[in-house]
Amino acid sequence: MTPTSLAATIRERVARIETMPSIPAVFVPLLELLNLPPERVKLDDVVKLVSYDNTIAAQCLRMAGSPLFGLAKSPETIRAAMITLGLRRVETILLTCCLSNAFPAKAGGLDPVVFWRHSLGCAMVCRKFSEKLAAADSDKAYMAGLLHDIGILVNCIAFPNELSVAMAHATTEQIPIDEAEHATMGFSHCETGRELAEKWHLADDMVQVIAHHHAPERSRAAQPLVALVHLSDLLCRMRGMGYGYYERRRVDWVSNPAWEILLKEHRELDGVDLVRFTFELDEAIGEVFALVSSIFGGSAARN
Amino acid sequence: MNIGTQTAMTTPFSSKGAEPIDPIFRQIRDLVYKVCGIFQLEEKLYLMADACGRRMKQLAVRTPREYWDLLTVHTNREAELRQLLNEVTIGETCLFRSPPQLDALRKVILPELVQDKSKQVVKRLRIWSAGCSTGEESYTLAMNMMEESDRLLKGWTVEILATDLNDRSVETAKAGIYGDYALRATTDYFKRKYFSPIDEKKLQIRPEVKKLITFSRLNLQDDSRMLFMKGMDLIFCCNVLIYFDGPSKAKVIDHYYSNLNFGGYFFLGTSESLFKLNDKFHLVHFPGTIAYWKPSLKSGKL
Repeated sequence: MTPTSLAATIRERVARIETMPSIPAVFVPLLELLNLPPERVKLDDVVKLVSYDNTIAAQCLRMAGSPLFGLAKSPETIRAAMITLGLRRVETILLTCCLSNAFPAKAGGLDPVVFWRHSLGCAMVCRKFSEKLAAADSDKAYMAGLLHDIGILVNCIAFPNELSVAMAHATTEQIPIDEAEHATMGFSHCETGRELAEKWHLADDMVQVIAHHHAPERSRAAQPLVALVHLSDLLCRMRGMGYGYYERRRVDWVSNPAWEILLKEHRELDGVDLVRFTFELDEAIGEVFALVSSIFGGSAARN
Repeated sequence: MNIGTQTAMTTPFSSKGAEPIDPIFRQIRDLVYKVCGIFQLEEKLYLMADACGRRMKQLAVRTPREYWDLLTVHTNREAELRQLLNEVTIGETCLFRSPPQLDALRKVILPELVQDKSKQVVKRLRIWSAGCSTGEESYTLAMNMMEESDRLLKGWTVEILATDLNDRSVETAKAGIYGDYALRATTDYFKRKYFSPIDEKKLQIRPEVKKLITFSRLNLQDDSRMLFMKGMDLIFCCNVLIYFDGPSKAKVIDHYYSNLNFGGYFFLGTSESLFKLNDKFHLVHFPGTIAYWKPSLKSGKL
């Protein structure tokens, strides 16, 4: 396939995703709200949007009660959740709910539980990581982590057979998914994710994260955020929240271009105890697994 | 979602699952990490509480708060912290203690080392188990290396140096006799292949495994002897440096850095950290495990 016809195929297949019944109706309007500066979003707009979909509302309340989001028990209403957790936090929870419903039961050789452990895990790591850095927006980091691999979801829906082959290749060769995708498909979830992100008019920094999280130095904007997601993604994959197979690799943090990008923006990264941070993440993994199994059922046990 | 189980995850419970743990134990956990560099996970916090409980009983201290004072303001605080560490790490050692470490070794590190050193005339790997205690780690390494002897390490010589300060530990290590507890993580495959039964309860390491290892007594603080430990490709030093004070720890780690070949690795115990003790080593992650790397010359990142 020539590069132009490949791009056309990607565009055409991604265009069909919009009509997928599995994506909740509130999702796209919610994304629009998320793109607005927080001071322009009215609490009532969000409450109204959510009230259209009981399943989403119920799931959102349950999720707000997870230790991951900082409440000891589930709030009773969306409004109560927003008052205690804040608008931005509730928006990220809603987004999590919407996205977790958008996954086909089992396609492309990928188990949705594995996908969501990774995406939610990465969202959690991004948030905790950015909390260690001064002046970083931790809710934005959470959202970036949640969305970074949305291209995998796209491939699951639009290229299930191709992704299945790529996943098998990644597992046998013990290599990262993007490398396996390039080797077997000629493109990766970065390109298809970008196509969907642009179609959905996601904010430009989210588009950059989705398109460049495997090579942050190539992004033309929001490099520190892309770098943060890159590092968090690697941490997840090194601590049991990857795609469920052994990745044969060594991650050398200080030699990683993403480390330098992030360090340039946040000098305090130098003082972050990455080993202790790793141990703290190990503790939070249980919460991620419990949350994902509460969405999909099944066991919360680590694999 | 069951709200009850969710709460259980934020509030650690004791081993019996009955009483919530006194938050002071979290403070003690942080103190132990700061001073000794070993971290107890939230889910293992009850082990820390149990260890403190045993010390409190021995010292006839009644409340965790009083014990906290003993660890922080009392003149003997450092000695007490060491006593507590002994309690915390008690019974931790066994063969095949860290599978992710062994995976990293066989799947990532060995192929890399073998390739890097393939041009050398003498195909030799040197591994040092520093603070080998009663030999569990040393034999685990030896058996894993032997597993690769027909594949990756075909034509290679592997030398394992195992040292400990304690003479009695070294003697026990040399004997290589282990019971159920030490063998709890050893698979039947390894038991059959590398051990001989001694009696109903105990197995002994076979001579061909022992041949790979030289056991000896060594004080890691003996600078003149440390200087001679040259040409290492891998150093393992698990739960040993936690007993050292800051400056001694930094000195030992500097030695390790010079003891290692370029491109060599240094492993600590699974919950230990080197934070701020050495800036020449690169912190590296492998799936499920952490190590420190002495950059190779060709990487250009020294």
